[in-house]
Amino acid sequence: MGELTYNAVALSVEGYIAGKRVQPKVSEMSEMLVSMSNQVEDRTFELIARFQPVASDLRTIKSYMKIAYDFARYGRYALDIASINERLGGLTACEAWIRDYVAEMSEKVLIMMRTSLNALKNHNPELAQTVSKIEEEVDAMYFGFLDKLVKDAQATNECTISSVLVVRYLERIADHAIYVAEAVVYIGTGKKLTLG
Amino acid sequence: MQSIELNAWFGAKQALKNVSLNIQANAVTAIIGPSGCGKSTFIRCLNRMHELVPGAKMSGQVLLDGKNIYSADVDPVMIRRRVGMVFQKPNPFPTMSIYDNVAAGLRLTGAKKNKNLDEEVKRSLEQATLWNEVKDDLKKSGTSLSGGQQQRLCIARAIALQPEVILMDEPCSALDPIATAKIEELIVSLKHDYTVVIVTHNMQQAARVSDFTAFMYLGELVEFGPTKEIFENPKSELTEKYITGEFG
Repeated sequence: MGELTYNAVALSVEGYIAGKRVQPKVSEMSEMLVSMSNQVEDRTFELIARFQPVASDLRTIKSYMKIAYDFARYGRYALDIASINERLGGLTACEAWIRDYVAEMSEKVLIMMRTSLNALKNHNPELAQTVSKIEEEVDAMYFGFLDKLVKDAQATNECTISSVLVVRYLERIADHAIYVAEAVVYIGTGKKLTLG
Repeated sequence: MQSIELNAWFGAKQALKNVSLNIQANAVTAIIGPSGCGKSTFIRCLNRMHELVPGAKMSGQVLLDGKNIYSADVDPVMIRRRVGMVFQKPNPFPTMSIYDNVAAGLRLTGAKKNKNLDEEVKRSLEQATLWNEVKDDLKKSGTSLSGGQQQRLCIARAIALQPEVILMDEPCSALDPIATAKIEELIVSLKHDYTVVIVTHNMQQAARVSDFTAFMYLGELVEFGPTKEIFENPKSELTEKYITGEFG
């Protein structure tokens, strides 16, 4: 599920930056993620009902239920990006600085996703905590982009609207990467940290 | 109630090793741990029942309201009245009626005159949530009741003496799930008036009914804390392994 959700976001961003049509494929992936998230919910409920897990087992199950939702949200944002690309066009027609900015921001967001996924796979709280530094950068880039775009008289309406929406989705994806990382810390240590 | 460096032996075999535990008043404290870890021995030391076993001895202190119950001037019978015990298998007096089972302790201690006896029996049965089921059959034998009712009768018998602490040694292990649920509800309601200590093998029961949990292993107290913390985020790896079923 983690790999699928990463691929969905990567594909949607790649499609948007390059102006390639990826919406049907991303939509399929997003639907699959929702279905998998529901399956995780059902199976975690079954485990709780049948085995009454406690301690690290309980923390893991509770967190996996939450993480499955985060993964489904990643998929939904990927679909939103692909849909914006479909409706307003990709970044190929936009100014170079917008393309570069979105590409750099999406790269950071994908690193956050990959890091939190690796931390999850290995139940590694130390690795999970490293995402907060990149999230600060993503947040700064988000507001920086808005400031810069307001001053840019050259950008077309399509570029302005689509890029604002997409950087907003990227910023939200980064938030969910933080939630995944927080869940990994909770599984490993029982501590409820706020990393964002 | 508080135990301080409590040690207990059966002959040469040491069953408890330096167990120090603060039992909070008006709360339910669960003692968990694998068979033979000293749970039952520990609570039997809390009302001086351990010393009734031939060859058994103990050292350390148990404070009740700040006074050591093992002091030379303390009467063990009075301690067992102040610290009641409910056992694994319901054990109503077999030849006595429901009424007499509850009244027996009061009559033996001579604490109540007969005119108050009816009221005390009713109060105890009500508090043990048994009154409505037996009020028309008080003359029937205590053993005519179902297992769960018999256990509540035993709780009523303990309550009748108005103890400060009620010790329960696996009180539901011989009962079906419905009877167990009733006893568990009762345990939670009893803490408003009494301090309750329950030994249980059923960890989910400990999680459901207790406010504090103590985990014991090989006669030692490994971990003690609020039940939520013990079951969600235990500090000791041994506790974690036991409650997640890795051993025991």
